Amino acid sequence: MEEAIDYQVNLEVFQGPLDLLLFLIRKKKIDIHDIPIATITKEYLDHLDRKEKINLEREGEFLLIAALLIYIKSQMLLPRESELGDEEDPRKILVDRLLDFQKIKAASTLLREKEDQQKKLWKRTASPPIPKQEEVELVEVSLFELAEAFLSLMKRNERENIRLIHGKEYSLEEKMKELIDRLKEHGFLDFCEYFEDQESIEEALISFFCLLELVKARVVIAVQESLFHPIRVWPFQGAQP
Amino acid sequence: MRTRLKDVIESLIFVSLEPLNLEKIKSICTEFADEEIEDAIQELVESYASNDRGIQIIQAAGGYLFSTKSEHDQWVRRLLSLEQTSKLSHAALETLATVAYHQPVTLAEISALRGVDTTYSLKSLLQKKLVKITGRKKSPGRPLIYRTTDRFLTYFGLDSLKDLPSEEEILKILDEENPLD
Repeated sequence: MEEAIDYQVNLEVFQGPLDLLLFLIRKKKIDIHDIPIATITKEYLDHLDRKEKINLEREGEFLLIAALLIYIKSQMLLPRESELGDEEDPRKILVDRLLDFQKIKAASTLLREKEDQQKKLWKRTASPPIPKQEEVELVEVSLFELAEAFLSLMKRNERENIRLIHGKEYSLEEKMKELIDRLKEHGFLDFCEYFEDQESIEEALISFFCLLELVKARVVIAVQESLFHPIRVWPFQGAQP
Repeated sequence: MRTRLKDVIESLIFVSLEPLNLEKIKSICTEFADEEIEDAIQELVESYASNDRGIQIIQAAGGYLFSTKSEHDQWVRRLLSLEQTSKLSHAALETLATVAYHQPVTLAEISALRGVDTTYSLKSLLQKKLVKITGRKKSPGRPLIYRTTDRFLTYFGLDSLKDLPSEEEILKILDEENPLD
């Protein structure tokens, strides 16, 4: 194997173990339907040996096929009572996979040609300005996300105004009624705005509990267009604007 | 009347970003009989094919779409200040070919066919909307099932999946690469 010394091939060049196997089969001009397993296994392992370390995450698949090759060889060495039929050849599993993979590779080549052709045909990519409001897909906000939004809001306020909390009584029922009335009036409410209007942390906390209860009971629904967009609370029926 | 209908259809195709199919055109041009519409489309396509124009009508993903002609590519790229056009990575293309020929197919099946883990490639293809999830397989773990999309057809200029390179074309490539076989 003198040629192997100056013929360094990196595993990175190959799109996987099957690609490497096909390369070796072609290089050795082997008939894919009659693979000399011992020869090909040696060639294959030589390639793996050229790497000092095998990165299991990236190259574990190469080892898997190495194990398959050795398994096939062991199956072929086993003495049998009768001659094996074509269908029972231990190499069949490998050959079938190689044939499938070969087809995929060839199909990729053909698709690449088509891609090259198509890339030269320019099409319109921008659509005429259509009001897209209807198409906005709202994502429902989970209770956990609501709590998170609430916490960050409270933290923000904490820094802004350090005040004494006056002992004012808030009733959960009243708050809930207030919230629903507000929803009826405005159709929806903006999560951040709503809590920023609250006088104290205590009031905000009570309101937040109300909101959680209402979301849980499916009376209202909290939605946002996508991550980092304002969270809005809608009555459950009118959730889809 | 026909000339007018032809112009209407021309406008519709012009405005569409995705290939505009016959059903859609029919659903818009309700004043006209199906046959009239089909004739008008035919006439329109022919007039674009025969006239010396820079724009052509191509058929992709079961619909009609305007595009420039390939021979004008270099000027268009100059306009857009594009040296090269981006193409799919080798892994992505191979994954896409696997999905195209073996669909409906699961991630594990694709990975087995390619002999390598395909999670990342499949994710990028999903983002590019070249493949889509169409359900779950009734097998242990109920894995997701993937298929190619209409955008896949448009991307490669295929009218339908039937236009994928055939078995014969694939074998021909293999023969060229492997004269011994």
